[in-house]
Amino acid sequence: MRSFSTPISRIAPRPDDPSLLRRLSNVNWAPLAAAWLLSCIGLATVHSASAELATSYLPRQIVFVLLGSAVLAVVFSFDYHALVDMAPVFYLGSLFLLVLVLFIGHEAGGARSWLSFGPFGGQPSELAKPATALILVRYLAGIYRRHLTLREITTAIALVAVPMILIALERDLGSAAMFLPMLAALLLVAGVQSRQLVVAAILGLLFAAGMWSFAMKDYQKTRIVSFLAPDKDPLGAGYQVRQSKIAVGSGQMLGRGYGQGTQSQLRFLPQRHTDFVMAVLAEEWGFVGALVVLGLYAAYVTGAASIAMRSRDRTGILLVVALVAFTAFHAIYNTAMVVGLLPITGIPLPFISYGGSFTTISFISTGLILNVDYRRYVNR
Amino acid sequence: MRIQQHRNALVARIGRINGVTQVILLCIGIAYWYVQIAEGANYRTMADNNRLRKLSTQASRGLILDRFQRPLVENVPSYSLFIDRSRSAGDEGLRFAARVLSTPIEELEELLASHRRTPKFQPIRLGSQLSLTQVARISALNLEYPELEISVEHLRLYRHAGQTAHLLGYLGEISEQELDAWGGTYRRGDQVGKKGIEALYESTLRGQRGEQIVVVESRGQVVEELEQVQARPGNDLTLTIDLELQQTAAQQLEGRVGSIVALDPRNGDILAMASSPAFDSNLFARRLRHEEWQQLVSDPNHPLQNRSIQNTYPPGSIFKIVMALAGLDTGKITAQEPRVFCPGYSTIYKNRYRCWRAGGHGWVNLETSLRYSCNVFYHALGQELDIDQIAHYARMFGLGQKTGVDLDGEKAGLVPGSQWSLKARGTPWYAGETISVATGQGPILVTPLQIAVMMAATANQGYLVSPHLTLGEHRLEAGPTPPQRLPLQAEHLKLVREALWSTVNHPEGTGRAVRIEGLDVAGKTGTAQVVAQAVRTGNDQLAPEHRDHAWFASYAPAEDPRLVVVVFVEHGGGGSSAAAPLAKAMYEKFFDTDLAHRAAS
Repeated sequence: MRSFSTPISRIAPRPDDPSLLRRLSNVNWAPLAAAWLLSCIGLATVHSASAELATSYLPRQIVFVLLGSAVLAVVFSFDYHALVDMAPVFYLGSLFLLVLVLFIGHEAGGARSWLSFGPFGGQPSELAKPATALILVRYLAGIYRRHLTLREITTAIALVAVPMILIALERDLGSAAMFLPMLAALLLVAGVQSRQLVVAAILGLLFAAGMWSFAMKDYQKTRIVSFLAPDKDPLGAGYQVRQSKIAVGSGQMLGRGYGQGTQSQLRFLPQRHTDFVMAVLAEEWGFVGALVVLGLYAAYVTGAASIAMRSRDRTGILLVVALVAFTAFHAIYNTAMVVGLLPITGIPLPFISYGGSFTTISFISTGLILNVDYRRYVNR
Repeated sequence: MRIQQHRNALVARIGRINGVTQVILLCIGIAYWYVQIAEGANYRTMADNNRLRKLSTQASRGLILDRFQRPLVENVPSYSLFIDRSRSAGDEGLRFAARVLSTPIEELEELLASHRRTPKFQPIRLGSQLSLTQVARISALNLEYPELEISVEHLRLYRHAGQTAHLLGYLGEISEQELDAWGGTYRRGDQVGKKGIEALYESTLRGQRGEQIVVVESRGQVVEELEQVQARPGNDLTLTIDLELQQTAAQQLEGRVGSIVALDPRNGDILAMASSPAFDSNLFARRLRHEEWQQLVSDPNHPLQNRSIQNTYPPGSIFKIVMALAGLDTGKITAQEPRVFCPGYSTIYKNRYRCWRAGGHGWVNLETSLRYSCNVFYHALGQELDIDQIAHYARMFGLGQKTGVDLDGEKAGLVPGSQWSLKARGTPWYAGETISVATGQGPILVTPLQIAVMMAATANQGYLVSPHLTLGEHRLEAGPTPPQRLPLQAEHLKLVREALWSTVNHPEGTGRAVRIEGLDVAGKTGTAQVVAQAVRTGNDQLAPEHRDHAWFASYAPAEDPRLVVVVFVEHGGGGSSAAAPLAKAMYEKFFDTDLAHRAAS
């Protein structure tokens, strides 16, 4: 009865299995192909976007992509159930670090979210995201009903709320918000009823109103105001949206040519190699370039969705959903923000934006998605 | 069975969520279509005439002053012509610019070709130092040739051109490697220090660029300023140089090839350091023409080289000061003993070594051997000491190693030893070579600045100073190290100083040409052979490039030295005739006021 998600599925594939190659050929490699193509586009764009800076970010981003690909291979090599079984350890460990950061963390960019041990440093909030995803997957995978009960939904929300509140206490609201798309996708797949959705929407609105009046900083409010009325403040927060839209628009159909974008190269654009890398790309490669990027994300999501749909157990399904929700949300938010559809926030573009930990995390989650696909025949 | 049902429900939900995601991505694609295609032309115009422009304002570079705060280099405003290729309609504008600048069009085309990879909208400098007439001609046709832009830039003006060229160096356009090395501080086309003080103190002298956000109209004219971050000017730098003494040194070297170094033996302040032939730093302030550069680098006398620190020469008889102290310290000689008879040559190891005076000096001791610069005495001393002992004393005085002066390209020179011979030449050291080194000939090489430091240590009771060029807070981080006391006995130094005094003040001393009424100068002449000759002929009969190098190293006043002067003249001939008179001019200039006072009283 409870045949899936039981220890029997933990039989690891033996490397000398004669059908290893055949099984590898049965994996849906579309997400990885899309990830690598996006990374190549990213490298070219990061190079162009940092051309005016004295230090090119290209060599470092090449290292990040190679490192990410290497970690992907490692993540692919062991059974994902082992990871899900370890979820409580990761979860409690990251909660411990989040509490620790409240006491001994130091500030970077307005948020007190960094921990450092000698030469090593990092943001525990980055660690908390996958850890929370795993604990949610583990919890929801153990429920075998068509719909979740209110109590189960509440438990799931509570599991997410604890790290979210801790991160919000570090004044890192952007990172705190990143948990919501993952939670929403998992609950939708695991099964919520429509009336529950209505209640959630009302609660969400109340929560947003509470945040606006109690928790949000002035600069965060101005961002939202300037998003709604960008012309009021052409040099402040509205400046970025405006310059970004000019960059995208002036690319027209075929773009201005590689390295020839005036908006990017004349430094009208902020954060050209990180958050606004899509604007650089759209300016220099035009609508064609933007479509290629959006198409590759569509391919990535579809590939991951088909993996989820044929995955052999509930754990695999939910794991893939959590991971792809995270990446897809970043891609959607960033591309939409750059054309002025959403307010500006520091959300990078997966595989394309410059950045070490985010690039690595995106490759790790791609590796786990492939892992689920590779092990779908295990009990045969 | 129920499990399969649940699974189907999950799969269906995933399909729906994927569908929604694809629709969202499609919507974003439509948004891009709207912005890039439907509204694209508008945004293209907005980008081209971007009303908001970030302009960067040049920071003024710090001045370089002499020790009495007299400016050695200043900034003068000058008009430059730029071309914005994204605005040019054809090559008419470039042709017009070439006519106004009276530059061949090919040269400008070559310049633009070298910027092929620079984005089109980045202005490229076509010319600088435009005259008012040129500015007027270009401004008058502004509507016809909107790609030509005139802007004001600061130009370096080296007030004393060649006289300070080797010290101050010059600026040049930043290279690709420098752009990488300096991080985000610079942009293409920026001027940075390439040589001398300008290069070494680049980070002190450069300021920090300012930024302006301005509203411009479509032709690029500024209509309104919205925001400004002020440029921060660079720091002024005060040198230890005394401008007047520096000028005297440069004047003395005119028409000669050589170097003059003057420093304060009490603290190592370099008061003057000149090298000849020189070049004009101002040539580099504008773009140097190819022929001008070729001329500078192909000149057989290498005007770009700073002979005070970048060329090494045998010290000649100047080295006898080190030998005398080595002999005294090792106990091989005393003030009286030995007395050596000089017949005009010595025969050692079956070889004949000549004294410079064919008739010989007769009986000589320590004092007279320095006063008359007798070689035979030192040939005898060279037999008593081995090369490693001599090298020990030479290194003690800083020879064979960089002095650490704050200038680029300093050479260490060479102090030979038995180990060096095996390692560098693969042959053992020959005892006969020690006899040559004892008189400062052979494989021993020094810079004029090293000799000045050695003279300062002799003059100031045995303290080795570290020579330097800058005063005050902006000197290099480490700063000069405090003078180091050499392990020599005061009375030995005193004996040598007395001999150096008599070299100048005895009627027959080799340095008598420097004698100045009312000032006690002490010094030593030196003549470094360029070609070894079995039979010496007069220098007058030799081709100029085979003539000896002339040295004169000295200090004054003898009792309380305040100035060390070292003169070196390449292929000048004998030290007493070719180098000593130049030192006299330096002392007269420096002690000018002192001497006038004494004459009055």
